[in-house]
Amino acid sequence: MLRVLNPNAEVLNKSAALHMNINAAKGLQDVLKTNLGPKGTIKMLVGGAGDIKLTKDGNTLLKEMQIQNPTAIMIARTAVAQDDISGDGTTSTVIFIGELMKQSERYIDEGMHPRVLVDGFEIAKRATLQFLEKFKTPVVMGDEPDKEILKMVARTTLRTKLYEALADQLTDIVTNAVLCIRKPEEAIDLFMVEIMHMRHKFDVDTRLVEGLVLDHGSRHPDMKRRAENCHILTCNVSLEYDKSEINAGFFYSNAEQREAMIAAERRQVDERVQKIIDLKNKVCSGKDNNFVVINQKGIDPPSLDLLARAGIIALRRAKRRNMERLILACGGEAVNSVDDLTPDCLGWAGLVYEHVLGEEKYTFVENVRNPHSCTILIKGPNDHTIAQIKDAVRDGLRAVKNTIEDESVVLGAGAFEVAARQHLINEVKKTVEGRAQLGVVAFADALLVVPKTLAENSGLDKQDVIIALTGEHDRGNVVGLSQHTGEPIDPQMEGIFDNYSVKRQILNSGPVIASQLLLVDEVIRAGRNMRKPT
Amino acid sequence: MTEIVTIQVGGFANFVGSHFWNIQDELLGLAADPYADPVFRNQNLNMDVLYRTGETPQGIVSYTPRLVSVDLQGSLGSMSSRGTLYNETSPGPSYVTTWAGNISTHASGPHRKNLFLESLYEEERESLTVMNGINGRENNSRREIHDEDKVESLENGVQFWTDFSKVHYHPQSLYELSGLWTDVQEFDNYGIGKDAFSGGRGEEMSERLRFFAEECDYMQGFQFFVDDSGGFSAVAADFLESIADEYTKTPVLLYAVRGPVSHTNLRSQKQTVFRDIHDAVSFSRLSSFCKLIVPVGLPLLSRSKAATFLSVKDEEPYHCSAVYAASLHAITLPFRLEHLGPTADSCNISGSMDVSGVVQMLTGQARQNMVSILDVAMPAPPLTGKQVEQTLLRNLQPLTPDITEDVEDLQAVESISVQGSFGSPGHRASVSEVNDMVEAAYENATSRPKFCHLSVSQCPLPIPLPFPSIFGSHVGQHGELLDSPIISSRSRGSLDVHSIPMAARLRSSSAVLPFLENRLVKLRRYGIERGASGAQLLSSWGFGQDELQDMGESLSKMVSALDPHSHTSSDSD
Repeated sequence: MLRVLNPNAEVLNKSAALHMNINAAKGLQDVLKTNLGPKGTIKMLVGGAGDIKLTKDGNTLLKEMQIQNPTAIMIARTAVAQDDISGDGTTSTVIFIGELMKQSERYIDEGMHPRVLVDGFEIAKRATLQFLEKFKTPVVMGDEPDKEILKMVARTTLRTKLYEALADQLTDIVTNAVLCIRKPEEAIDLFMVEIMHMRHKFDVDTRLVEGLVLDHGSRHPDMKRRAENCHILTCNVSLEYDKSEINAGFFYSNAEQREAMIAAERRQVDERVQKIIDLKNKVCSGKDNNFVVINQKGIDPPSLDLLARAGIIALRRAKRRNMERLILACGGEAVNSVDDLTPDCLGWAGLVYEHVLGEEKYTFVENVRNPHSCTILIKGPNDHTIAQIKDAVRDGLRAVKNTIEDESVVLGAGAFEVAARQHLINEVKKTVEGRAQLGVVAFADALLVVPKTLAENSGLDKQDVIIALTGEHDRGNVVGLSQHTGEPIDPQMEGIFDNYSVKRQILNSGPVIASQLLLVDEVIRAGRNMRKPT
Repeated sequence: MTEIVTIQVGGFANFVGSHFWNIQDELLGLAADPYADPVFRNQNLNMDVLYRTGETPQGIVSYTPRLVSVDLQGSLGSMSSRGTLYNETSPGPSYVTTWAGNISTHASGPHRKNLFLESLYEEERESLTVMNGINGRENNSRREIHDEDKVESLENGVQFWTDFSKVHYHPQSLYELSGLWTDVQEFDNYGIGKDAFSGGRGEEMSERLRFFAEECDYMQGFQFFVDDSGGFSAVAADFLESIADEYTKTPVLLYAVRGPVSHTNLRSQKQTVFRDIHDAVSFSRLSSFCKLIVPVGLPLLSRSKAATFLSVKDEEPYHCSAVYAASLHAITLPFRLEHLGPTADSCNISGSMDVSGVVQMLTGQARQNMVSILDVAMPAPPLTGKQVEQTLLRNLQPLTPDITEDVEDLQAVESISVQGSFGSPGHRASVSEVNDMVEAAYENATSRPKFCHLSVSQCPLPIPLPFPSIFGSHVGQHGELLDSPIISSRSRGSLDVHSIPMAARLRSSSAVLPFLENRLVKLRRYGIERGASGAQLLSSWGFGQDELQDMGESLSKMVSALDPHSHTSSDSD
C-alpha cells in the first residue's frame, strides 16, 4: 500500500484534538453567522490585486476563503456539498455544526464522554426528521403549480441575498423561468435556464427573455442585424474546410494535384452550405420569412459569404448547451448532418436581433412559441454586482425547483427550529433513558441557533426573542421572528417559507459532521503551507 | 489570416508564457519604433496570428494575446484577473448597490508592486495625463526609477509570473481555478487535480476558449503549454479532451514544460515511486488528446549543454522559463512568417509553415511518432569560419529530458528554425546564406535525418527589459559569441545584451526512446503488473485496470513505432 503521510504533520492527542475541532467549528460559525437572514451583513472581499467580490451567500464565501484549518475545511466541504445538493443552506449548516459543538463543549468540560452525546444526537436527529414530516406544509403540484407559494419561497431566499425591491423583481423572474422550462412528468433541468449578463447602469433592468440570448453575433458584414419571422436551423456541422488533411505539401507530387485536392475539399463544404440554402429557399420562397443558422461548429468566410448572399443570418461556434436550449425554445431538432434536411428540422422565432456593447455582441432570439427554455438577462453596473446577482438568481431558481419537487414547504423565520426544539424538550427527552438525554438537549438547544442568529443580526436581544417564541409555541401557536419588530409573527401570513429538502439536508449532515468531530482520536495537522516559497 | 489560440495551464507554463508574450510585446514595440534596428521593422511576421484586435469599454482599440491562461487562485500576484486594460471605472469600492443592510469589508493586504511594475504603471499614467492634455510635469514628484534597479528588483524577487509581465491581457484571458488556492494545499500530483476540471470550472475554461475561437476565421491550431509536474496535468488532460471533442479537426501542439524545482526534492523512495507514477500517467493522458507533444524541461538546466553560453540559476523559475520561452518562440516562428507568393522575393524570411504542416511532417511520415525533441542553440553561432557546419549542429542541444545522445536514426525528421543569425561579423546572414549553410551542415554531418524543414528569419530574438540576467561572459551585445570573455562582476542581462540570434529544432527521432520506455516500464511496474505497488494509488486517482492496460498498450505502440525490436514494447515476458 502506498500512503504518503506528511512527515511534517503534527499529531495531536485526543483532548487537544477535540478542542481544536470545537474551536475551528466555532470560528467558522463566527465568520458566517452575520450572513444569515434578511438583516444579515453583506461581505465585500477585496483581493490582493484589488479584485472585488460581494457576497451574502455562505457558499460563495466559503469558496472565496482560504481556509487552512483541516477541521474547518471538513465543515466547509460539507456545507458546500449541501449547496450542491439542495442549492441553499450553507450558512445554516455551518452555524448549526458550530452550535452543536458549542453545546457539546459544556458537557465535555464537565467530564462527559463525547460518545454519549453522539448517541443523543442520533436519537434527536431521527426524532427531528420525523417531526419535520409532520410539520411541513404540503403543496399540491398538479399541472398548474401554485404560483403564489413558489413565489413566496423564492422571495424568502432572495430577500436574504438582495435588497427588497430587487429581490421582489427577481422573484417573478425566477418563478416564471422555472415554470417555463418545467415539463410534466420530467425532472426540472435548471441548465435549460440560460443566465446571461450585460454591463448596464441599473440592476433593476434585469429581465426574463422568453427565448435565448447568445453571447455572439454573425460574422459577416452583409448579414441582417434584425429579422422577424425567422426559421431557426440548429446544427452541429462543420462549414469550414479542413486544411489539416491536405495542407502538408509533401504528399503531392505536384502543385496541380494539391490544388485539385483543395478545390475538391472546398467543393464539399460548399455543397453542405448549398443544402442549407436550398432548404431556406424551400421554406421562405414567396413569404416574408427569414432564415437563421446557429451552428456549434465553425463557419469560414467563404461559407459565410454564400449564406449572406442567400439572405441567411449565420452564427458559428454556439455553446454546446445552447444547442439543446435552442430546440426547447424554438422547436425543431438539432442536426448533425445536412444530408437529410427537412422543414421539420426547423424551429421558429418571431424576432432575432443583434445588440452590440463595445466589443461584445449579443444575439436575442425572442418571440418564440411555447418555449421550454429561457434566459435570465442580468444587468449590473460592474462585474462584482453582476456576479452577486447571478449567485442570488441561482439560489432563487433552486428554491423554486425544490418546492416543485418536494411538493411541500416549511414555515420559515425560525418557526420550524423553535417548534422542533420544543418537541424535543417536551416530548422526546422523556422517552430517552440515561445520559443520552443530555445529547438530545444539546441538539435541541443547538437548533435555536437559527432564530438566535436572526435576532442578533436584527439587533434584537436574543434571550427575549427566544423566551417570547418558545412561550408562543408552548401555547400552541406556531410563530417565527419578525425581523422588523422582534415580535412573534405567523410566517404563513407573512409568506415566509423555506425549502423542505434544504431543511432535511441540514438536519442530516450537521449532526454527522459534528459527531465525527467529537469522536476524533487524533488529528493529523497538515495542509498548512509546507512549501517553502521559492 | 490563420489564427492560433494559445492555452497556458499551470504555474511553470504561465512563467514560460509570460516570457513568451514579453518577447512578442517587445517585437511589436520594435516594429513600431522608427529608431529601432531596421531588422526589427521589417520582421515579415504576422502578429495577428497570435493577437486579437478588440475594443475596451472606453472605446479604445486594444491588441491582446489570443490566450487562455489557467492557474491557481492567488497566483496572479498584484495583477487583477481582469487584466490591466479593460479596467472599469468603479465609483469607489465601498459602493454596494445590491444590499441595503450592513456591509463589512474584508481586504487582504495588497500585493506590493515591484519596481518594474511600478514603473510600468507610472508610464501608463503619464501617457494618460499627456493624452488628457494635462501637463504632468508639474507634479512630477515621483522618483526616477533606473533600469538597473528594475532589473535588479526582478533578479532578486520574482514570486509570481505577473511580476515580470509587461503585456496587457484581455479580461477573458486569465482564469484562476476557483476554490483552489495557491500555497494552501499541495497541488503536486495527477490525483489531486483530477476533479479540478469538473464543477463548473471546466465549463468556464471552455467558454473562455470559445470566446477566442469564435472570432477566428481560419484557425490553424492551438498551442498548449502545460506544467505537467503536478495536478495541472489532470486539468490539462480534461481540457484537451473537451477541445478534441469540440474542435475535432483543429490540431493541438502540446508543450509539456517543467521547472527544475519539480525534479528535485524527492526525500524518500516512496516519493520517487509516487513521482514515477505521476509521470507515466500524466504523459499517457496528455499524449492521447493532442497531435504532437514536446516535453521540455531539464532537471539541471544550468549544467546542461544547452546552457553552455548561459548562466542560469536552476532554482529560479524566472530564469529557466526564459530559456524555454525563447526556444519556443523560435520554434513557433514558421507559424506566423508571412506567406509569400511564389513571385515575391523576400530577403528576410523563408520557410513558413502552419501548425498542421509541422504536425504532419513530424508525426505522419514513415512512422507514427507524436513525441518530438526540442533542441536549441542560444545564442546561435555565426555561420562563418571554419567548421561552421559542425558548430551549428553541435550547438543545437536538447531541452527535452531523458533522451539518448548521438543516436543514428535514418528515419529522423526535423524542423529547424534559425532567426537573426550572423554571417560575417556584424552582418546578418541572408536567407539564402543560411539555407546554404544548413544544407552544407547536413551534407557533412555524420548522421543525417530523412527529411528536414528549415525556416529562416533575419529578425533576431529581442531581449526585453524584464528578462533574467542569464547570459554568460562570451555573449556580446547583439548575441555574437565573443572570443575573449567580458570581465564583469555581475551576470549579463537585458541591459548588456539587446538581442541574440537563435536556432531551435523540433526533432522526431528514436533518441526519445528512453523517455518513452521509462514511462512504459514504470507504468507496468507500479500500475499494471500483478500486485503492483501503485495500483491502489492509481485507483484512488480514478484509473481502473482496463484503463491502465490501454495506457500501457498505447505507450508500447509509441515505443515499437520507434524501435520495432524493443523488448519493453512487447508484453510477453
